[in-house]
Amino acid sequence: MSDIEMQPESENPANEWVRIDSNDGFSYLVKRNVAETSGTMRNMLDPNSGYAEAQTRTCLIDERGIVTEKLIEYMCFKAHYQTVGPKEDIPSQEMQERIPPEIVLEVLLAADYQEM
Amino acid sequence: MATAARRGGRPKIKPPKKHGPDFNVDTTWKALSKNVKEIFNHNAASLSFEENYRYAYNMVLYKEGEKLYKGISKLVSDNLDHLAEEQITPRFITTTNSHPGQQSQEGELLLKGLRDVWDDHVSNMTKLGQLLKYMDRIYTDPAGVPKTWDKGLELFLKHIIRSPIKDNLVAAILHQIQYERDGFVVNRSAIKGCVDVFLWLETDQVTVYKKELEPLFLSESERFYKDESQKLLDSCGAPEYLQRVEARFDAEDSRIHHYLSPQTLAAITRIIGETLLTPNLTTVISKDSGLDVMINLNALDDLSRLYRLSIRVPTGVPTLKRALHDSAIKRGKELNDISLGSGTADVEGEGAKEDEASNKAKGKGKARLPNTALPAVTWVQGVLDLKDRFDRIWTEAFKSDRDIEVSLDEAFESFINQHEKAPEYISLFIDDHLKNGLKGKTDDEVDAILAKAITVFRYITDKDVFERYYKNHLAKRLLHGKSLSDDAERGMLTKLKVESGYQFTSKLEGMFNDIRLSKDTMEAYREYIREHTAPRIDLNVTVMTSTFWPISAPAVACAVPEILEEVCESFESFYFSRHSGRRLTWTMSLGNADLKIGFKAKRHDVNVSTYALIILLLFEDLGDGENDFLTYEEIKTATNIEDRESKRNLQSLACAKYKILKKHPPGRDINDNDSFSFNHEFTAPVQKFKISTVSSKPENAQERTETKDKIEEERRYQIDACVVRIMKDRKTMTHLLLVNEVVSQLSSRFNPDPMTIKRRIENLIEKEYLERCPDRKSYNYVA
Repeated sequence: MSDIEMQPESENPANEWVRIDSNDGFSYLVKRNVAETSGTMRNMLDPNSGYAEAQTRTCLIDERGIVTEKLIEYMCFKAHYQTVGPKEDIPSQEMQERIPPEIVLEVLLAADYQEM
Repeated sequence: MATAARRGGRPKIKPPKKHGPDFNVDTTWKALSKNVKEIFNHNAASLSFEENYRYAYNMVLYKEGEKLYKGISKLVSDNLDHLAEEQITPRFITTTNSHPGQQSQEGELLLKGLRDVWDDHVSNMTKLGQLLKYMDRIYTDPAGVPKTWDKGLELFLKHIIRSPIKDNLVAAILHQIQYERDGFVVNRSAIKGCVDVFLWLETDQVTVYKKELEPLFLSESERFYKDESQKLLDSCGAPEYLQRVEARFDAEDSRIHHYLSPQTLAAITRIIGETLLTPNLTTVISKDSGLDVMINLNALDDLSRLYRLSIRVPTGVPTLKRALHDSAIKRGKELNDISLGSGTADVEGEGAKEDEASNKAKGKGKARLPNTALPAVTWVQGVLDLKDRFDRIWTEAFKSDRDIEVSLDEAFESFINQHEKAPEYISLFIDDHLKNGLKGKTDDEVDAILAKAITVFRYITDKDVFERYYKNHLAKRLLHGKSLSDDAERGMLTKLKVESGYQFTSKLEGMFNDIRLSKDTMEAYREYIREHTAPRIDLNVTVMTSTFWPISAPAVACAVPEILEEVCESFESFYFSRHSGRRLTWTMSLGNADLKIGFKAKRHDVNVSTYALIILLLFEDLGDGENDFLTYEEIKTATNIEDRESKRNLQSLACAKYKILKKHPPGRDINDNDSFSFNHEFTAPVQKFKISTVSSKPENAQERTETKDKIEEERRYQIDACVVRIMKDRKTMTHLLLVNEVVSQLSSRFNPDPMTIKRRIENLIEKEYLERCPDRKSYNYVA
């Protein structure tokens, strides 16, 4: 029992921390499973292909911080709710309302690029 | 933020800012293609995914998808050609005349080369697929072209799996397989690596494996095994041949599972079966070291291997069945020949021995008795041993296969029924065991022996013949008290009942009942004579119901001496007082008597048969002078005993171990003009002895025909009864149906001959039980 608890978190790849940078200097640390809700980012971090991002576990989202933050917010939301049972309510309405209309098209384009 | 948006009324949606307005197709493609080449050189770690993904994204976004797609395809093709040139083509097996071992090593290298190229390609295509994900999502489907990964497979097929690479690969694989078949070790994982690639790749839904490799593999195998078949057949004995074939099956099976595909298993198994088994099985089975020898040696391993191989091919089990059938019949015939041949020889030999014995007056009275049944016991025991042997082989080597059981049964049935004395011998066998063989054996052993006898009985078609003999033997056992164990007798009866039904044993059971009732009757009789005048001699009577017992009273009753007459009358008056309307017939031939005889030297207690007693009583009144003799003729007229019986009894009195009578002239056989006198000088070492009547041997030819006639007659009655029973029920029936019905109803007892049935039907028509219908094919029942 204790042996298992002693294991560093990073040994379980889903628990690794991954750093996401915006193009204007913001950095976010998220769990790998959160990052991998994006198809693009999952390929980016694929250790088998071994691109530079996978080696450094640092990904660039080529957007402003405000857009990047919304993307990450949604990724967390998706990571949290994608495993819940079918009966539980998913507050998608609330998530929609949290995106300011000013940046909604920008977020949409970025989300398409990120394959979310 | 949300609240702010709401407060400001209608929210404004701003257009996103343009991405890199400085997009240029050519520079983008240049950069991307350079990076793709880096990926091919295994330098992905130095590349930014995001950067290259954006290149591809931009190209698709700016409608340059086609350029991107074609460019990438070209890069991949070039890379594949390059790899082929570098790692595959140089490894082609060019040296055809070199040592096969060396060829095998070269082949291994070639196969490994292909696998390396494949692995490389797969890794490249995975990476490209990730980079070009956006293209796969947006561009490929509308453009009607395969996605990156599928395009990769397509290009691999086109550039690698082509002549001459393909042919070289297939040849190398076949060479490796051949090399392994020849008994050498090959690198299976290298072959598997290549075969797996073949299995993954498909054109028109057919895998390369199925299209390119399997047909060649199969035809090659067929050629190989055809050669092998002849070689093995010439050089190996049957057990070795089977071992080799089984090893081939195992080897191919292991080959299929280790580096080919299970889809080929059925085909290759079929090929081995068709080349090594189907054409050769009969030859192998009939080889000098074939089935017969295996059975002789009880080689269960070889036999079970034979079975395992036989079930692999459709003709296998029938062939095996036929061979087993023949073998069983052959063995059975040998037993029959020995039994029939030596049966007569034995009797003669025995006769000679008896001659000696009687000449020297060294009685072998007791030893002779079981000998009479010897040929029967030997034969039945032989059959049982044979049955045991085949049963053991059947359960242990043939996995209790039903088909084989049926054909073995057929074989046993056929040879047992070929032995014309079979029913008699089986009955004699049981008789022998119930009389002599059960000493010192536990109930279980007895049961086992009897159960075995039943298995042979089961094969007999003429069950009524058996019944007849069994009845005779049982009657003798019961009357002479020869039976050792009442339990065993009843056990046997129960077994017969289970086997053939109540009807079959009802008479036998009746005989048992008579014996039991007679004991009660005798007790009552003793009570009775205590109150009435007791006769001068003791009497013990067994009252037998005449229909149950296979004994007919002699046609002419013998002259009963007065002293016996008296006691008979005493019993008759007792019996009739208890049962009115019954008729008692005295069957003297089956009785025996204890008497005291005063010889000159000593008085002896002698036990003789009733007939012998009657004969001896004739001599009671004679003096001991030289002239006090009786001729055979006189004895015969005085006693009125049947010719055969009186001779038999005189023989045992005058010619056997204890010679109470003197025969003039001396000799072994009784002739019509012999005369007899009482032997006053008789001496014997023991006080008490028994003069057993010269025992009857297994039937001689004349008796046999008599028995046969009786059986024929009984069968006629049974057929009659059966026909009438059926017709009474059906009223009208066609000839064919009627005959079939009769056969099926009687088959549990014997196999009626249709001709006989026809004759019986005609007979019944004459007797007006039946009449012919106008259509000439059917009969009506006439009430």
